[in-house]
Amino acid sequence: MSNPVELRNTVKIYDLGGGVKINALRGIDLTIKKGESVSIMGPSGCGKTTLLNMIGGLDHPTDGQVIVDGIDITHMSEKKLAQIRREKIGFIFQFFNLVPMLSALENVQLPMIFAGKLSDVEIKDKAVELLRLVGLEQRMYHRPTQMSGGEQQRVAIARALANEPSIILADEPTGNVDRETGWKILRLIQNLNEILEQTYVIITHDPHIAKTSEKIFYMVDGQIYEAPPRSATTPSSHVLAEERRQLMLAELRWLKTSLVSLEKRKAKLNPESYAQVKMGYAKQLERLKEMIQEDHGKRRSI
Amino acid sequence: MFKTIRFAFTMARRSIGRRKFRSALTILGVIIGIAAIVSLMTLGYGMRYQVETTLNEMLGAGIIISSIEGSIDIPEHVHEFVSQVPGVNASVPIVMTWVYLGDQPTMVVGIDPTEVAGLYHVTYEDGRGLESGGDDAILFASATANNLGIHVDDKVTISTGLGGTGFGGTFKVVGIIRSLGTEQMNIGCFITLEAAQEMLDKEDYVSAIMVRLDDPSQGEQVEAALKNMFPDAQVIRQEEIMSQIGQIMDIIDGVLIGLGSISLGVGALGIMNTIMMSVHERRREIGMLKAVGAERRHILFIFLSEAFLISFIGGVFGCIFGLFGVSIAQWFITFLKINITIPLIISPYILGIGLTAAISVGIVAGFFPSWTAANIRPVEALRYE
Repeated sequence: MSNPVELRNTVKIYDLGGGVKINALRGIDLTIKKGESVSIMGPSGCGKTTLLNMIGGLDHPTDGQVIVDGIDITHMSEKKLAQIRREKIGFIFQFFNLVPMLSALENVQLPMIFAGKLSDVEIKDKAVELLRLVGLEQRMYHRPTQMSGGEQQRVAIARALANEPSIILADEPTGNVDRETGWKILRLIQNLNEILEQTYVIITHDPHIAKTSEKIFYMVDGQIYEAPPRSATTPSSHVLAEERRQLMLAELRWLKTSLVSLEKRKAKLNPESYAQVKMGYAKQLERLKEMIQEDHGKRRSI
Repeated sequence: MFKTIRFAFTMARRSIGRRKFRSALTILGVIIGIAAIVSLMTLGYGMRYQVETTLNEMLGAGIIISSIEGSIDIPEHVHEFVSQVPGVNASVPIVMTWVYLGDQPTMVVGIDPTEVAGLYHVTYEDGRGLESGGDDAILFASATANNLGIHVDDKVTISTGLGGTGFGGTFKVVGIIRSLGTEQMNIGCFITLEAAQEMLDKEDYVSAIMVRLDDPSQGEQVEAALKNMFPDAQVIRQEEIMSQIGQIMDIIDGVLIGLGSISLGVGALGIMNTIMMSVHERRREIGMLKAVGAERRHILFIFLSEAFLISFIGGVFGCIFGLFGVSIAQWFITFLKINITIPLIISPYILGIGLTAAISVGIVAGFFPSWTAANIRPVEALRYE
């Protein structure tokens, strides 16, 4: 049986133009098995969201392969990807992302309307059932603005389940609610995972949340690891001191240039403001010189 | 498909409702454009109708023989020869000229009282008709009489020059004409042929001879015969005049529609702007819709139906306000005491044009921003900045 998620040497490079390129994913190999609940952890900017975009068929990889439920979606057309997204994948976002104009019930109906496979009555019945599942049957006709953050996220979970996807992707699902609500939502996700045997991929930077999953992956600089990577080395005190010295020297040069240009403009300025500006520069210069001397003294003592 | 469209309309309706003020302004833009088009077209239509019916009544003849310069120099006895031409039922000599009544210009027709019945079917609002020998009598059309405040038994002075200069005379109002034939007679006044000739110092001359035909279909043969008889005169069939007038009215219509279209163009920019803003504000929502499975067409429908709804509402109200606009124009004309009547004729055809123009402009203006929306990438859903 095919795995729900399989990435093979997946690379994603964002071209920001002007020759600036960002390697968001540097050859990811990842297999997630059916029914597994997996957390992906990592600092911001490590490529977590890009990875989610790949698995969820929101974006094409630059290189490598993305296989969802045995279907290679690497080079799929927009239209087919949309179909994969609504049939195979359920999304839960950090900011709930409900349509503000639609009631909870209508929000849950969305993926089913887009799929266009069920009748109106079936769609509605199923949406009511899903809202009951997440405990919101009392709030069906409320708009997102009339609901708390936790309730909105539960609506989003119900929506993610609408087309009975095999994979649920959650991007910081508890990132925007208080801790207690966050745990409730996590328990709901865990229970659903057990009951419905869907595969859950949760992106988070909270280790407590990650620990609730069966498996944790760690991402750093566009690469993925099964064990927590060693923390990136902090630069030695020597490097830091050198950086600081360079900065002070640069500031000194800048002050000197400013002084020269002030002298050049002397004739045009009124004497009072000239004196004032010059005094300001002189004070800064004094302070900087003291700092450099102090720094020098320290370096000697080392 | 049906479900998709219905859903798109739900979204569009709520989106418009959510941004009430902005939507109202955009709709107002469309209303102004459509109201301008509808009112100008309706005015043009009324004007055309008025001119045509008035001409029909005033001409009341199949063929008109007039001098080429339009002056009064056809010898009166010519009409006796005309009567002999085969296919001619009757020929009536008339004098027709513009005169001033105070400072208001109006058309005066001099006609033999016994011939009136032969050309027109006249009904009177008040008073009686002209009588032979009653050379100080004058008849007024109802609209002219109303505009100028003239009643039966009043004495009026008309003159060819402004303010009583030129040829002229004083007449006693004997009747007000409600209608000539089946339609309302709106402008002008009538005096006897002799009175007109005497007033203008043109005894025994007329400005035109109206020819009534035995059979309207013989018009072209009779015209040819008359042209042959009077090579120096202008012989025109009524249909020719009407078609010339029609051409002039077409030009006026074109200008009016052009003016209306400018304001509709501005309305279109408003729609484009509104949809563009709506798309911009809802980028993430669009991304999310795509993430949960929406295809391009779903998003396209959502925004196109917003443009459709805005333009449809604007179109309906534009038509209503356009007709109000005509009423205001009519009131304004009366207020200025201008001697013109433009009837308000509600034409389903013009209202149809108004609504169609609104909707098509809305769809066209809304297409570009909607297409932009449809092409927003689903990754926008996960972009939080």
